[in-house]
Amino acid sequence: MIRLQQIQRVFQVGEEEVHALRNVDFSADKGEYIAIMGPSGSGKSTLLNIIGLLDRPDGGTYELDSIMTTTLNDREQAHVRRHKIGFVFQFFHLVPRLTAEQNVELPLVLAGVDKDERHLRVRETLGAFGIGDRARHRPDQLSGGQRQRVAIARATIMKPSVILADEPTGNLDRASGNDVVHILEELNRQAITLIMVTHDPELGERAKRRIKMVDGGIEEDTGS
Amino acid sequence: MHFRDIILFSMQASTASRGRTILMLLAMAIGVSSVILLISLGDSARRYVIDQFASLGTNLLIVLPGRSETTGGPPPLLGETPRDLTLDDAIALTQSSVIRRVAPIVAGSAPVSVRQLEREMIILGSSAELLEVRRLSMNQGNFLPPGDLRRGENVCVIGSGGKQELFGNQKALGQWVRIGDRRFRVIGVLAQIGVSLGEDMSEVVIIPVAVAQSLFNTESLFRIVVEATSEDAIARAKEAVLSIIRSRHEGEDDITVITQDAVLATFNKIFKALTMTVGGIAAISLVVAGIMIMNIMLVAVSNRRAEIGLLKALGAPRHQIMGLFLTESALLSIAGAVLGFLLAYGTMELLAGFFPEYSLALALWSPFIAASLALGTGIVFGVMPAKRAAMLEPALALSRR
Amino acid sequence: MHVQDFIQLTVNAVRSQRMRSFLTALGIAVGIGSVVLLTSLGEGLHRFMLAEFTQFGTNLIGINPGKVTTHGVSGALISNVRPLSIEDAQALKRIPQVVDVVSVVQGNAAVEAGKRQRRTTIYGIDPAAPEVFKLQVASGRFLPDDPPRAARSFAVLGSKVREELFGSGQALGERIRIGSERFRVIGSMESKGQLLGFDLDDTVWIPTAKALAMFNRESLMEIDVLYEEGSSADEVASQIRKILIARHGSEDFTITTQEKMLEVLGKILNILTLAVGGLGGISLLVGGVGILTIMTIAVNERTNEIGLLRALGSEKNQILGLFLGEAIVLASIGGLAGLLLGVGGAWLLGFLVPALPTHTSWTYLLAAEMLAAAVGLLAGVLPARRAAALNPVDALRSE
Ligand SMILES: Nc1ncnc2c1ncn2[C@@H]1O[C@H](COP(=O)(O)OP(=O)(O)OP(=O)(O)O)[C@@H](O)[C@H]1O
Ligand SMILES: [Mg+2]
Repeated sequence: MIRLQQIQRVFQVGEEEVHALRNVDFSADKGEYIAIMGPSGSGKSTLLNIIGLLDRPDGGTYELDSIMTTTLNDREQAHVRRHKIGFVFQFFHLVPRLTAEQNVELPLVLAGVDKDERHLRVRETLGAFGIGDRARHRPDQLSGGQRQRVAIARATIMKPSVILADEPTGNLDRASGNDVVHILEELNRQAITLIMVTHDPELGERAKRRIKMVDGGIEEDTGS
Repeated sequence: MHFRDIILFSMQASTASRGRTILMLLAMAIGVSSVILLISLGDSARRYVIDQFASLGTNLLIVLPGRSETTGGPPPLLGETPRDLTLDDAIALTQSSVIRRVAPIVAGSAPVSVRQLEREMIILGSSAELLEVRRLSMNQGNFLPPGDLRRGENVCVIGSGGKQELFGNQKALGQWVRIGDRRFRVIGVLAQIGVSLGEDMSEVVIIPVAVAQSLFNTESLFRIVVEATSEDAIARAKEAVLSIIRSRHEGEDDITVITQDAVLATFNKIFKALTMTVGGIAAISLVVAGIMIMNIMLVAVSNRRAEIGLLKALGAPRHQIMGLFLTESALLSIAGAVLGFLLAYGTMELLAGFFPEYSLALALWSPFIAASLALGTGIVFGVMPAKRAAMLEPALALSRR
Repeated sequence: MHVQDFIQLTVNAVRSQRMRSFLTALGIAVGIGSVVLLTSLGEGLHRFMLAEFTQFGTNLIGINPGKVTTHGVSGALISNVRPLSIEDAQALKRIPQVVDVVSVVQGNAAVEAGKRQRRTTIYGIDPAAPEVFKLQVASGRFLPDDPPRAARSFAVLGSKVREELFGSGQALGERIRIGSERFRVIGSMESKGQLLGFDLDDTVWIPTAKALAMFNRESLMEIDVLYEEGSSADEVASQIRKILIARHGSEDFTITTQEKMLEVLGKILNILTLAVGGLGGISLLVGGVGILTIMTIAVNERTNEIGLLRALGSEKNQILGLFLGEAIVLASIGGLAGLLLGVGGAWLLGFLVPALPTHTSWTYLLAAEMLAAAVGLLAGVLPARRAAALNPVDALRSE
């Protein structure tokens, strides 16, 4: 499903080159539940961004659902992102001027889905995540946990095959963090691949497969 | 993405930061309204002058003695000539079939007195035809009687202003006035007309042309005003005048014929050029407004980096993001244009209220000018920020660096 | 706070947002640039017109027949029951301040020399004309000092007429025919060029009395009086008026002093320059709104920084000063750039279209720069006051 080979990512910072990823090989099958852990600056987010096609590797190949993504142009990559990948971020990244409903609706709007169908799907999804009564609230009127639920609802509304979550609990207290993780695990049980970056060992333990990154490389992988 | 959704999204984005949006609209509105207003003022002035010309009569030709080798430039001030235009020349012109009316004119100034009151006034010597040719109308009495141009009685017609000056509120009709060393009977008073092109007919005294010639002791005419039978006949009438006078002046072309439409066309051209220049100067302010739109859209792009990253993560390709931002700046400038149009409209109405005699109005095409200027400005100056938004690296935009 | 530190802080704020500051200043620059360019054009036109008018000298008084101002057409061209005569002109010579008097009759006639013919302007004029009108004789001499009523039939040619009629051949001493009379050419004039549409080179000068006879008229069209440098135009004019009224019995003529005409002309042209500059000022206004907007945004974005500064013990006035300073710096930089833009534009215009007179005066430049700073100050006041009025606790809490 996901196959990365010899992936490199180098950042130019002034005179210096920072090797964020050094020849990473990684693959994941459909429906897997993977936790990526490791010290700060080890390249976890960079790896996740490349899997999500938000960033392009400087070397190596990346195959997603037997599509060779590294040769796609911007428009084709956007198309893949739209239909196959859902993102959940540490800082939620809700658009502040839009209501919960409108935030969730956004991917459908971008994809040009018709209004009636949009409303149906948004209502359904919000209900499923237990925030149906908050549909018309703006992000600043929601708690952190509620915001993250809205973000997850937004990530799933296009029915992606992969969900990428970068420290989804990083800005939440333990209770709402656990809530969020349970929701994500529930999605995983519906055969959606879940790849989650976390600093919390307890959360990491829950994953079926754990990857530990150090200095731009994979040091430990319980799955392979 | 549906067109409707693009518009909605952009509108939401621009109303989110109200203060700066209002200021931006204000800037755009100032620019657009000043362009519209100045163009419209120029256009109104043009129409005013043309109307004034038309009110002098239509299909007119003016025959002046003398001719200048240098053509073009302002209407020639030729001064005196050795061979004058005479009354017989004017009479000869009436023979042409393309000429409807001929009014010879002798102009001079002389003291006009009624009892103790004396005023220096303009005296026009002319014929009965002048009434029709110059579209004059009578308030009281009659105009000069028709008849042989070579003869004339000592009668005069006075303008409304002249009547006020000489007689005040008393009856003028039938009274005697002294012009120079002769006495004239007032047979008519002209109706009040507005000042047209500095030729204030309300202050003149009109007497028969032959009498004027003897009063001023001259054989020559100041000019001859000729009315052609129709608009199409103007060119032929000019030819006719030239050839008739040539044959009377021993084959010499020693007159100048100015046609009304040629003068009109020149005025039209001058006013249009002036209007465009003034409008162009005002359009500089639109450039400044455009720069401002660009600036603020750039600020918006940098403030909304995370949002742009998110849109990309949700599967929006570059062109879609570009489209969203372009739409936003286009919407802002259109709204500014609408505001500017209203501002211009209001100002114009106000001006028209203060100066009703100039029939001020917005030029008909000004809404189109406003719309196209605004759209143009919005798009030209929106491209750079929109491009910048589209080219943002999503990973970088989303991280809090 | 030291002035130095104040400047440092302001400049830092402007520099930290390069693109933004650049565009804001650019808006002002375009505004100031157009004001400078347009006023330069206006001022250039002003000087051009003044030069055109004063090339005949400034100590002139013109007298026209008729007391007519309303009709548009000057009294010179229409007939008059009370003409101005050559004797009237002679009488004016008795005024002590008067240096010379020239009587003028102007007309249009065909001039023939051999086989060539040309329609041209004929001036009937007095021998003193070169001195009064500052004309230069190119060859031969001007009309001789004959008795006015018994002048001989001599003619002097304008440069263009000379060339058209005689080409490169000899004109002096040749005979020409004007209307039905014959004249002998005794001189030709230097080129004087166009003056407000009148071509003084396409002209033949003959004695006044001859012109009156040729055009069969009694009255002069104009009498021009040159008076002594330093004497008052009004006083000379009133003496002229006295003499002519004594001769005519009433004031049936119009006196125009060059001084008054220049004054009126200068006033009109100044208004024109102001109006055109005002048009350019619209752009400046828009640029001012631009500064207002950017400063509003800056206050919003730096709410936190303002809170911090307040927490560190800065006074309200200092915050006010900082933001005002920023606005003024932005506007002044824009203003300076605009000056360059305007001066450069005027120079380029003068270079590309040499016929277009431009003149950039230092006072206008200085005024424009002050204007820019003032615009900055005005546009800065509102945002700066808002910044100063912020409650430090709220400001710090905002994120
Ligand atoms: N856009 C960038 N420009 C320069 N360097 C970058 C950029 N993005 C990442 N890096 C560098 O690449 C390395 C890996 O960064 P990355 O964000 O992947 O770390 P991380 O493992 O996610 O850390 P954290 O746990 O703190 O989020 C770091 O050294 C970082 O400084
Ligand atoms: Mg990270």
